[in-house]
Amino acid sequence: MNAFLIAALALLAGFVPLGAACLLLRPIDGVVAVQLGGATTTLILICLSEGFHRSSYMTVAIVCATMTTAGGLVFARFFGRLAR
Amino acid sequence: MSNVAVDVLLGLGAAAQLLCCVGVLAMRTTADRLHYAAAGTTMGPLFVLAALLVREQLASHALQAIAAVAVTLVGGTVATHAIARAVRTTMESDSR
Repeated sequence: MNAFLIAALALLAGFVPLGAACLLLRPIDGVVAVQLGGATTTLILICLSEGFHRSSYMTVAIVCATMTTAGGLVFARFFGRLAR
Repeated sequence: MSNVAVDVLLGLGAAAQLLCCVGVLAMRTTADRLHYAAAGTTMGPLFVLAALLVREQLASHALQAIAAVAVTLVGGTVATHAIARAVRTTMESDSR
């Protein structure tokens, strides 16, 4: 087990407070937590790809980063229109 | 020496990311939470990318990691701004 796999495991712990934020706080705060969750997932995928020495896995991290951005924008648009 | 640098950078990246995750839960207002979320799309990814570059230099998958982190940096900033605008719209409609 190398340092990148240990870092990926440690980063998984970040989902606990983010999940709690999604469950306990207002919906717009949940969107903030989901946004950070996407960035954390991208980091975990980068660490796993490096940890397993599989360069093809890095594509998943790029797709995750792109989808996180798109998802954040969609949620922001949705909540902005909901408030009007 | 290079292994120590990789370990330190990875530790800093994971610690920064975990701190941001806890900050999102612990802060009182949505704007404060957004600050932590924005920090989570910059500090952690940059430290992890630095660790990867120290270990691999500019190999092909390091370039892919640069792309992923760049998308996270730019996309995170844009999404944070959009969410902040949505928060402001929500607050304005609540105050009416």
